[in-house]
Amino acid sequence: MSGELTGGSTPQKQYRKWLILTTIAIVLAVVSIGIGKLSYSWLPPQAAAESILIDDLFSFLVTLGAFIFLGVTGTLTYSVIFHRAAKYDMSDGPHIEGNVMLEVIWTAIPILLVFWIAGYSYQVYQKMAIKGPMEVVHLHHIQMGMQPAYAAESIASMGEPTEDIEVIGKQWAWVFRYPEQNVTSTELHLPTNKRIRLALKSEDVLHGFYIPAFRLKQDIIPGENINFEFTPIREGTYQLTDSQFSGTYFATMIADVVVESPKNYQEWLANAATQTPTAAPNQAAAEYAEEQHETIKLGWPTVKPAQPPVVNYHK
Amino acid sequence: MSSTPLENKPAVSHSHAETVTTWKTYFSFSTDHKVIGIQYLVTSFFFFLIGGIFAMIIRGELMTPESDLIERTFYNGMFTMHGTVMLFLWTFPALAGMANYLVPLMIGARDMAFPRLNAAAFWMIPVVGVLTMASFFLPSGSAQSGWWSYPPASTQVPLGFWINGQSVWILAVAISGVSSIMGALNIVTTIVKMRAPGMTYFRMPAYVWTVWAAQIIQLFGLPALTAGAVMLLFDVTVGTSFFDPADGGNPIIFQHLFWFYSHPAVYVIILPIFGIFSEIFPVYSRKPLFGYKVVAISSMIIAGVSGLVWVHHMYASGTPGWMRLIFMLSTMCVSVPTGIKVFAWVATIWGGKLRLNTPMLFALGALVLFVFAGITGIMLSSVPVDIHVNNTYFVVGHFHYVLYGTVTMGLYAGIYHWFPKMTGRMYYEGLGQLHFWLTFIGTNLNFLPMHPLGLNGMLRRVASYDPEFTFWNVVASLGAFLLGMSTLPFILNMVSSWSHGKPAPANPWRAIGLEWLVPSPPPVENFESIPVVISEPYGYGKTEPLTANDPNVKLPHPASKPVEH
Amino acid sequence: MTTNSSLTSEQIEEYLHEAVSEHVHDEEANSMFGFVIFLLSESVIFISFFAAYIAYKTTAVNWLPPGVEGLEVREPAINTVILVSSSFVIYFAELALKRHNLTFFRLFLAATMAMGSYFLAGQAIEWSALEFGFTSGVYGGMFYLLTGFHGLHVLTGVLLQGIMLGRSFIPGNYDKGHFGFEATSLFWHFVDVIWIVLFILIYIWQ
Ligand code: HEA
Ligand code: HEA
Ligand code: CUA
Ligand SMILES: [Cu+2]
Repeated sequence: MSGELTGGSTPQKQYRKWLILTTIAIVLAVVSIGIGKLSYSWLPPQAAAESILIDDLFSFLVTLGAFIFLGVTGTLTYSVIFHRAAKYDMSDGPHIEGNVMLEVIWTAIPILLVFWIAGYSYQVYQKMAIKGPMEVVHLHHIQMGMQPAYAAESIASMGEPTEDIEVIGKQWAWVFRYPEQNVTSTELHLPTNKRIRLALKSEDVLHGFYIPAFRLKQDIIPGENINFEFTPIREGTYQLTDSQFSGTYFATMIADVVVESPKNYQEWLANAATQTPTAAPNQAAAEYAEEQHETIKLGWPTVKPAQPPVVNYHK
Repeated sequence: MSSTPLENKPAVSHSHAETVTTWKTYFSFSTDHKVIGIQYLVTSFFFFLIGGIFAMIIRGELMTPESDLIERTFYNGMFTMHGTVMLFLWTFPALAGMANYLVPLMIGARDMAFPRLNAAAFWMIPVVGVLTMASFFLPSGSAQSGWWSYPPASTQVPLGFWINGQSVWILAVAISGVSSIMGALNIVTTIVKMRAPGMTYFRMPAYVWTVWAAQIIQLFGLPALTAGAVMLLFDVTVGTSFFDPADGGNPIIFQHLFWFYSHPAVYVIILPIFGIFSEIFPVYSRKPLFGYKVVAISSMIIAGVSGLVWVHHMYASGTPGWMRLIFMLSTMCVSVPTGIKVFAWVATIWGGKLRLNTPMLFALGALVLFVFAGITGIMLSSVPVDIHVNNTYFVVGHFHYVLYGTVTMGLYAGIYHWFPKMTGRMYYEGLGQLHFWLTFIGTNLNFLPMHPLGLNGMLRRVASYDPEFTFWNVVASLGAFLLGMSTLPFILNMVSSWSHGKPAPANPWRAIGLEWLVPSPPPVENFESIPVVISEPYGYGKTEPLTANDPNVKLPHPASKPVEH
Repeated sequence: MTTNSSLTSEQIEEYLHEAVSEHVHDEEANSMFGFVIFLLSESVIFISFFAAYIAYKTTAVNWLPPGVEGLEVREPAINTVILVSSSFVIYFAELALKRHNLTFFRLFLAATMAMGSYFLAGQAIEWSALEFGFTSGVYGGMFYLLTGFHGLHVLTGVLLQGIMLGRSFIPGNYDKGHFGFEATSLFWHFVDVIWIVLFILIYIWQ
C-alpha cells in the first residue's frame, strides 16, 4: 500500500521534492514551447488562410507532445542511470503495488488534455469551414455564428462572392474548368484573397485533391459532386497532387497551382479563353506508350491511361 | 472455477501420452500448444524476412526521385504485399504463436481448450503464405492496390481473368481471417474455462489479460472485414457492383467495413505487446507491476473503445463533418487507458533494481518509441492536422514507429525473455545487445525522416517523388538497410543458441509466474500436477509462494467415484 | 490492494482437490462456450451485410433495377412461418432427447429437416422466378447476397441435422453428452433469428 515514489518524510524533504519537481516541469515546459515554435519550420509555406490555423494547431500539439515525450523518457532515463542493480545485488526492489492518488492524477490529466486538444481542434475545424461531401446541399450558413472575429479576417466570410471552379480527376490527369469563361486548363490558376469554391469530380476511381502548401485535402468520389472551399493568400506556384491511391501511374498525377493577383488571374482567364483546345502532355500516357514499345516487358499489365485531356491552356 | 461438486463430473480417463518433442515434431500436425506456438513464431519470422526484403526493394526505389529501379506496377505490388505480409503473415501469426505458447502455461492449463482446432488454425498460415507468394507468378501480377484494396481501383482488373492478383489476395486474407477466428475462439475459451484452481481473473498475469482483450477484438471485428472481402470478391470476379459507382455502388461502404476491423486490428497487435511489457518490466526491475488491476482492466477498455474509432482513417474520404468530429473525440479517448499503462510501467521501473538484459533493453526501447508514435497518433486524430498529413509519409512514420518500433521490438523482447523457456537454452547476451542497438538506431534512422517528409507533403504509395524530398529519403533508405542488417545478429543468435547455447535452468531470470516453475522447456503436458494458485502475480519484494503445490510433483489421485451419465 | 492472506487452508485444500481431479473440466462445456462465441462472431458478418443493405437502400438514387416493381411477399411469408415453426419443432426434439426418448427425438428432428428443406426449395423457386440477377445493380447484389448467404446457413443446418439423425443410431452416441445436438439446435435458432431480421429488411421494408 505504501506508495511514495520518491523517498522523503520530513516536511523539509517534502518541500525540496516539490521544489525540484516544479523546476523540472518549468524547464520541460520551456523546452517544449521552444520545440513547438520550431515546428513551424517543418512545414511548407502558408499559402492559404486555412494553413495558418492548422499550423498553429500543429505547433500546439507538438508543444504538448514534446512535454509528454520528454517527461516520460526523462523519467525512464533517470531510472536507467540511477536505479541500476549492483552486480551481485540479488535482492528485490520495494514491494509497491500501486498508489491510488497517483493513478487518479494520471488518469485525470490525460482526460483534461484530451478535451483541450479536441476542443481546440474543433474550433479550428469550424473556422476552416471546409466542406465534406454531405454538406453539398446546405451551402455555407452554419459556420457563421461560431466564427470569432479574427476568423472573419483570415477566412473570407460568406457574403463575399466566390470563385467557382470544376476539378476533374481521371486516370491520370487533372483538368480544371472555369465554367463562367468556359476555359479548361491542366494548370490550376487561383486569385489571392478570394474564397474559392471547387466542385470535385472523378471520372473513374477515387482520387484525392491535395495541395500541401494549403494543408488541404479531400478525396474525390466518382459519381459524387463534392464541394470544397478555401482561400489562397500567398502568390506563388505550388503543387497539387493526387492523394488517394488511384492505380499504376498514381505518382504522376501532379499539377501546378498558380496563385496570382486577381488582376493577373483575370488576364490569364481572358487569354486562355481565346486559345483553341489542344491535347495536353500527359506523363502517364507518355510512359504507357513508351512501355508498349519496349520489346521486353518488365512490368505487369496495367489499366490504360485515359486520353490526354484536351484543354484551352497547358504548359 | 465451476462450483459444481467434483464428484458429479465424469472422470474422463486420460492417458498421459509421453511423446517426446523432437525437431520432426515441428513439421507435423502436432496438437501441443508449445509446438504450435513455436511453429507460428518460426513461420511468421520467415515471412517477416520476406516482407522485409520487399521493404528493401521499396527503399531501394525511393533512393532516387525518379521511378527507375523497378516498374511502377511492380512498385505498387511491392508496398501492397509488404503491408499484407507484415500484418497478416508476421504480426498476427507471431502474436498468435506467443499467446499459444504462453497462455496455457501462465494460467496453469495443460493445453488449449481445442488442441486440434489450434493445429488446424496454424496450418492455414502456410497456405495463406503460399497463396500470397503465388500471386507474383500470375499473368496479372500480384495485388497492387495497397493493403486496403480500396475499390474501384482494386476492382479494375486489366486482364479480366477470374484468377488475378486481387482475387487471390482477397482469398488469402479471408483464409487468414478464418485462421484468426479459430485461434480467437480457442484462446478466449481457454482463458475463461481452463484456468487452474485459484487462478482467478485478477490473478492472471497482465499478459493473459491483454491477449484476452485482443482476441475479443478479433471476434467482433474480423467478421466485418470478411463481409467486405466477400462483397469485394464478387465485384472483382462475377461483376456485381457493390462498390462500383458507375453502376450505383458505393465505394465508401467498403471503407467502413474495412476499417471497422482494420483499426481495431492495430490494437489486436499492440495489446499483447503491452502484455509483454507488463511481464518484462517487473522481472528486470524486481518490482511488482504498478497498479496491476487498473492495467489489466485498461486492456479491456482499449478493446472496447477500439471498436468506436475507425472513421479516423477516413477523415478525408466521403465523411461528413459531424462524423469527423465525433470520431476525433473517440479516437483521442484511447490515449487515456493507454496513458494509464504507460505511466504504470514508468512507475514500475522507478526505484527498482534494474538489469539491462536484452529483453529489458528491447522493452525499454519499444516503450520510448511507442510514446513517440502515440503522440503522432494523437496529432493524426486531430481532424485539421490529419486533413493535411493524411496519406503522406507522416502516417507511414507514425505506424512504423508502432509496428516496427513497438510491436516488432516488443516481440523481440518477448522472444529473448522466453527463449530459455521455449528452447531450454540461453541466448548469447552480447549478440542480443548488438541486435538491440542496431535495431534501435536503424528504426529511428529509417522512420524518423518520414515525419518531415510527410509534413512537407510527400505522399505515400508513390514510386517517384519531387526532388526536394531526396535528402530525407536517402537517410530513410540508409536506415532501412541498417535495419535489414540488424536482423542478422538476431538470426545468428537464435540459430547458434538453440543448437549450442548453455542449458537453461527452469527460471533463469528469477521471475515469478507459473511458466517459470516448470523445467525449460516444459514437458509435453506442462505440469505433473495442476498448480494451485494462492497469490497474486508479481510478488516481487515479498516471500509468499505463488502456488500451494509443486507442479512438478504428481499429486496422489483422489478416490473420485466414476460417474454415469 | 488485497493479498492472498485471506485464503483459508480449507480453500486451499479444496483447490488442491480440484487440481488433482482435473480433466473434469468438462470438455462439453468448453465446446458449447466456444460455439456460442462462434455464433456471436458469425452474427457480425450478417450485421455487416445488414448495415450495408440499410446504407444502400437509404442512399441509392435508383434502388430497384429497371422494370422491377418490388418483391412478392406472400410465398416468402409462408416460408418464414415454416422456418420459424421449425425452431419450435427442433426444441421438441431437444426435449425428447433429454428424456431419452429416441423415437420422438428422431421424429421431430426429421420434421425439422423437412421444414428446412421446404424453406430451401421455396427459396429456390422464388429465385428462379425473379426477373433480376446477382449483377443487377446494388439491389440485385444485396438481395442475392443476403438470401444466398442465409440459405447457405440453412443448408448447413439441415446437413448438421442429418448427421445428428444418423449418429443417433450409433449405440452409445450420447454417453458423453448432447453437445453435438445442442449445438445443431442452437445453430438452427440462430439461422431463424437472422431470417426474421432479413425478412423484415428485404420484404417488409420495401
Ligand atoms: C499497433 C499499431 C498502432 C497503434 C497502437 C496505433 C495507435 C494510435 N493511432 Fe495509429 N495507425 C496504425 C497503427 C497503430 N496506431 C496504422 C498501421 C495506421 C495506418 C494504416 C494505413 O493507413 O495503412 C495508423 C493510422 C492512424 C491514423 C490515420 C491517419 C491517416 O491515415 O490519415 C490515425 C488518426 O487518428 C491514428 C491514430 C492513432 C492513435 C490516436 C493511436 C493511440 O492508440 C495512441 C495512444 C498512445 C499515446 C497517446 C501515448 C501514451 C499516452 C500517454 C503518455 C498519455 C498522455 C497523452 C495524451 C493525453 C496525448 N493512426
Ligand atoms: C509489422 C508491420 C511492418 C513492418 C515490420 C514494416 C517494416 C518496414 N517497412 Fe513497412 N509498411 C507496413 C507495415 C510494416 N512495415 C504497412 C502496413 C505498410 C502500408 C502498405 C500500404 O500502403 O498498403 C507499409 C508501408 C511501407 C512503406 C511505404 C510504401 C509506400 O507507401 O510507397 C515503406 C517505405 O519506406 C516501408 C518501409 C519499411 C521498412 C524499411 C521496414 C523495415 O523495418 C524492414 C526491415 C527489413 C528486414 C527486417 C528484413 C531484412 C532482410 C534481409 C536483409 C535479408 C536477409 C534474408 C535472409 C537471411 C534469408 N513500409
Ligand atoms: Cu490426466 Cu488425470
Ligand atoms: Cu486506426
